[in-house]
Amino acid sequence: MRALPGLLLAWMVAGPLPSTGQSLDVPLGPEPGPTARAGAWVSYAAEPQVILAGRMQQLTLRFQVAAGYHVNSHTPRSQFLIPTELRLQPADGVKPGAAAYPAGAPYSFASAPQEKLDVYAGRFSITLPVQASAGEHVLHGTLRYQACDRASCYPPQQLAVQVPFQARN
Amino acid sequence: MAVKRMVLVVALMVSGISLMLWAGWHNLRERRLEQQQQAQRHIDLVPGGSNGSAQGGGDEQLPSLVGKPAPAFSLVTLEGKRVTLAEYKGRPLLINFWATWCAPCKLEMPWFEEFRTQYAPQGFEILGIAEDDAGKDEIAKVARQAGVTYPVLLTDGKVAPAYGGVDVLPMSFYIDRNGVIVEQTAGLGGKDEIEANIRKVVATPAQSGGTATAAVAAPSAAGAQ
Repeated sequence: MRALPGLLLAWMVAGPLPSTGQSLDVPLGPEPGPTARAGAWVSYAAEPQVILAGRMQQLTLRFQVAAGYHVNSHTPRSQFLIPTELRLQPADGVKPGAAAYPAGAPYSFASAPQEKLDVYAGRFSITLPVQASAGEHVLHGTLRYQACDRASCYPPQQLAVQVPFQARN
Repeated sequence: MAVKRMVLVVALMVSGISLMLWAGWHNLRERRLEQQQQAQRHIDLVPGGSNGSAQGGGDEQLPSLVGKPAPAFSLVTLEGKRVTLAEYKGRPLLINFWATWCAPCKLEMPWFEEFRTQYAPQGFEILGIAEDDAGKDEIAKVARQAGVTYPVLLTDGKVAPAYGGVDVLPMSFYIDRNGVIVEQTAGLGGKDEIEANIRKVVATPAQSGGTATAAVAAPSAAGAQ
């Protein structure tokens, strides 16, 4: 009985129990909004990164597909579908390697559940190996993608991408 | 002394129970809030529902051409033959904009083919317009794979703006015998919905004269070449 107040206090300090809500099929994303409808179905925010100079190091580019939409993965299941692809411009002092794309998730339209597509939805990251000289660098490029929702598809888009990073000795 | 101690214990018990009740209510509220937020952010990887009605994100904002004369055009088929909308005067039509990169477009093409055969006795025809940068051979290959035998026309870059922009695919326009757009759909529709729209244009009787027929007969600047 004497321990009861202490136990209650400890419970209160610890806070509510963690949620046991349903697991999600894909990472979370923002709600559909005017941004997505204006042609920006994928967003990217540059995040400064630091790597070791003179060695092959990994940069990570994080993208977000607007909620309710999907884009083809880098390896769609049909040759006629447009793959998501990162294209970089040459930059002084930087030797980029081949970008590594994540595996897509299966997707099918309700009218044809047997036909599977391979898509990105929610968050996805592309890893880019680079070897750079010491100093500040910015890689410029574009992400080409083609987005659809559960019934419609939208014309292919080019998203401008800037990758700032610092290479230290 | 004993009474004081009893009062203290009872007070502690009351406050403890109150704290438990409050903490339980708070915990439940937090869980419900988090579950609600997760449900709002959830994406169906395999969308549910089977009614097939178009649920595209873009169709709500599209300009409607329903009730208006179908904009005239003059386009070239995959076989190199020039085709104008005016040639189909008096026939119920389905004009379907599609692209090789549009997966849902290819799902409804076999249905179109089926309905084309079914309603051919009533004069019904389908014109597919490839709103696509792909080459003619690639477009032909996709159409062939989808079993398409109706005319596939190559875009001239003017026909889509004439039909309201067509920035969502697939997009279909159901045109009656008088050249009037009776229905306009964006996104993959259900097979039943497509047939219902075809029946509407097939059932509409042709009227002699009228602005709509004149508009179809006289190609506009947007489509004429």
